[in-house]
Amino acid sequence: MELFDNLLLGLSTALQFNNLLYCLIGVVIGTAIGVLPGIGPIPTVALLLPFTFGLPPESALIMLAGIFYGAQYGGSTTAILVNVPGETSSVVTCLDGHAMARQGRAGPALAIAAVSSFFAGTVATVVIALLSLPLAALALKFTAVEYFSLLVLGLLAAVILAHGSVSKSLAMVFLGLLLGTIGIDVNSGAARMTFGIPALSDGLDFVPVAMGMFGLAEIIANLERNEVRQVVSQKLRDLVPTRADLKAAFPAMVRGTAIGSALGVLPGGGAALPPFTAYALEKKIARDPQRFGKGAIEGVAGPEAANNAGAQTSFIPLLTLGIPANALMALMIGALMMQGIQPGPQVMTEQPALVWGVIASMWTGNLMLLIINLPLVGLWVSMLKIPYRLLFPAIVLFCCIGTYGISNSVFNVWLMLGCAMLGYFFIKVGVEPAPLLLGLVLGPQLEENFRRAMQLADGDPSVFLTRPISAVLLAVVAVLLLAMLSPAVLRKRTQALAE
Amino acid sequence: MKNLPFLTIAAVAAMLSAPALAEYPDKALTMIVPFPPGGASDTTARLIAPKLTEAVGQPVVIENRPGANGSIGAAQIAQAKPDGYSLLVASIGVYAINPVLYKGLKYDPKKNFDLLTVAVRTPNALVATPNLPVNTVAELIAHLKKNPEKVTFASSGTGSSDHLTAALFWQQTGTTGLHVPYKGGGPAITDLIGGHAEVSFQNLGVVTGHIRAGKLKLLAVTSDKRIPAFPETPTMAEAGVPGVEVYSWQAVATPAGLPKEVKAKLESGLTGALAAPEVKGRFEEAGFEVVGTGSAKFSQFLDAELGRWKSVVEAGNITPDQ
Repeated sequence: MELFDNLLLGLSTALQFNNLLYCLIGVVIGTAIGVLPGIGPIPTVALLLPFTFGLPPESALIMLAGIFYGAQYGGSTTAILVNVPGETSSVVTCLDGHAMARQGRAGPALAIAAVSSFFAGTVATVVIALLSLPLAALALKFTAVEYFSLLVLGLLAAVILAHGSVSKSLAMVFLGLLLGTIGIDVNSGAARMTFGIPALSDGLDFVPVAMGMFGLAEIIANLERNEVRQVVSQKLRDLVPTRADLKAAFPAMVRGTAIGSALGVLPGGGAALPPFTAYALEKKIARDPQRFGKGAIEGVAGPEAANNAGAQTSFIPLLTLGIPANALMALMIGALMMQGIQPGPQVMTEQPALVWGVIASMWTGNLMLLIINLPLVGLWVSMLKIPYRLLFPAIVLFCCIGTYGISNSVFNVWLMLGCAMLGYFFIKVGVEPAPLLLGLVLGPQLEENFRRAMQLADGDPSVFLTRPISAVLLAVVAVLLLAMLSPAVLRKRTQALAE
Repeated sequence: MKNLPFLTIAAVAAMLSAPALAEYPDKALTMIVPFPPGGASDTTARLIAPKLTEAVGQPVVIENRPGANGSIGAAQIAQAKPDGYSLLVASIGVYAINPVLYKGLKYDPKKNFDLLTVAVRTPNALVATPNLPVNTVAELIAHLKKNPEKVTFASSGTGSSDHLTAALFWQQTGTTGLHVPYKGGGPAITDLIGGHAEVSFQNLGVVTGHIRAGKLKLLAVTSDKRIPAFPETPTMAEAGVPGVEVYSWQAVATPAGLPKEVKAKLESGLTGALAAPEVKGRFEEAGFEVVGTGSAKFSQFLDAELGRWKSVVEAGNITPDQ
């Protein structure tokens, strides 16, 4: 019953009045920065770090954690309403969430996003409490070899998630991979395809590319489309998801939570894999994959759940091993060190109130987020009633500010505007930018891990098949590829025979 | 109205001759950190800023301008006006390593900067994964000699200070190893703990917890004296490897050509901020040692560092530009 003791200890910490207050502050700030495009949780946490010096360590960490998962909630709002993905993780939410909004179903989309996030957050809290030690041990087994195979699987997801022609989405993936090679090469330190422009040396930043290709390109397309806007109903009945919605969304939530919990633990997994993988899975197993991209509610529920579960389980390596799973967790380590706590596996035994308090606060925080977000749905939806002539310039302005703010660079603003033109071209020729974005995110990691795997294995490519986790992942890739190709092959053959 | 032109001239003359410097600073100061939020340079800037604000009586704004290993932000400072309102808080990499590593750099730390002070430093720890069959530096050297170019040295990136420390170590001991770069220290440490990489030089503060928990083996420290937290661990020199006394350091500079009074005010403001007990305490908790020795010492120190890393890069044939 040690688990219950631990959880009780955690709850007694998390439910202290001031810790509840810091948790609330954290999630409110998180929601706000999530809604604003471009302003991510990392700069926010860095900015607030000095203010946490005066707090006890558990309050500091509870607040900073709240910002992180609060941002995951808020990010989906802009994605659904105006097709602007503020974070890597909300790109997938754009696909079906915004499609729902255009059909006048922004309310249910937002509500499902919030409910899915809450569900995933609750389950992930239990996962952390029960399984953090074995999961952390698993995470340490992941080397460059396993990452490479996992990333190959992720790239396959990119092909699945686009609807329409496979060759077009393959072309987009490869374009994304090529764009991903821009910048300083991790292995040799050589600058590639930067044309001597220093701003290109760290590669193309994801956020301006995503905001340009999704949000701004969509605005340009809307201007000429002259589409009759769906009248946004304010009746409560149209704001809440129907019973059928919930029934369709629930299994997707469960699957998304499982995927997110597993992928979130991996150090270096990044924010892109869980939602993209969840979306690809939903589409793959759906009876009617055609609905995806046109407002399928599973396409919102699965990725949103994956996203939030992943955000939370990425705390596992930090809390149990003292190693950061991503850049934000590295900041958290910084926060701990400033409090005089050396990150490492001993933190769990030496500071149980801190570790379990943070874990328990995730559940209270998620509850607060649900309570904050559900009533806000009506408010957000009514934002869509703002006439385009006011709404569009406002979106463009916020996108510019947000993009500039990432690294205080004007270059990123131009990059975003350039990507908007490119995105408009893509809409015109009927290709989707999502696979390109996934290629852009995963490409550099794929190369880095492949080359590191080769370095560590002395150039022997058989390691990908002899290491068990990697072999299983590659086997899944092979099966999926066969499943994808075989109907096409068969159809061609019948066509050939018919002639 | 005959004397109007005279009055105008007088007014202009008064404005010109008015001791503008006496009024410095009359607006907010900007500290450029050429790295993303949360790194060592960023932490340094954020810990100093409040005390510096008190000292100069104007707010100090921190602006992160990351990119190209810090050279974008550094180039911005190199081109800024030397009026005392733009400061650079950056690392050993920006001041002493980029200049010897990259040819097309848009700044020269000796020519373009007025060096104010080294702020803080932290020694590196020579750590190994627990399964590696060595327990001392001498055993490591023997192991490296027996397995030339086989033992993996994880670093936080090509051309990072821990990469060059490893190169220096090889040169001083006549050994070789396999350099495996990661994107930052975090993933490198993760692979060391997991046993996938074998040896690394990492900032001591970052690995202290892992050493205490037995997840990493500490062989030596690169400081000039033993570290109080690990009194049993020898320095590199004590372990028989001279010349590998290496610190990662953070320092403050401005664009070159600062008026004397402004420079004096900033220098005393900075050294005062660094000496303040609460600032010092925070730095120590974060694993840094406060230096704060001022402008003249920084200049000598930078010459020494530039010379040393230049020879390490040349001897190790480390050429990222090709």
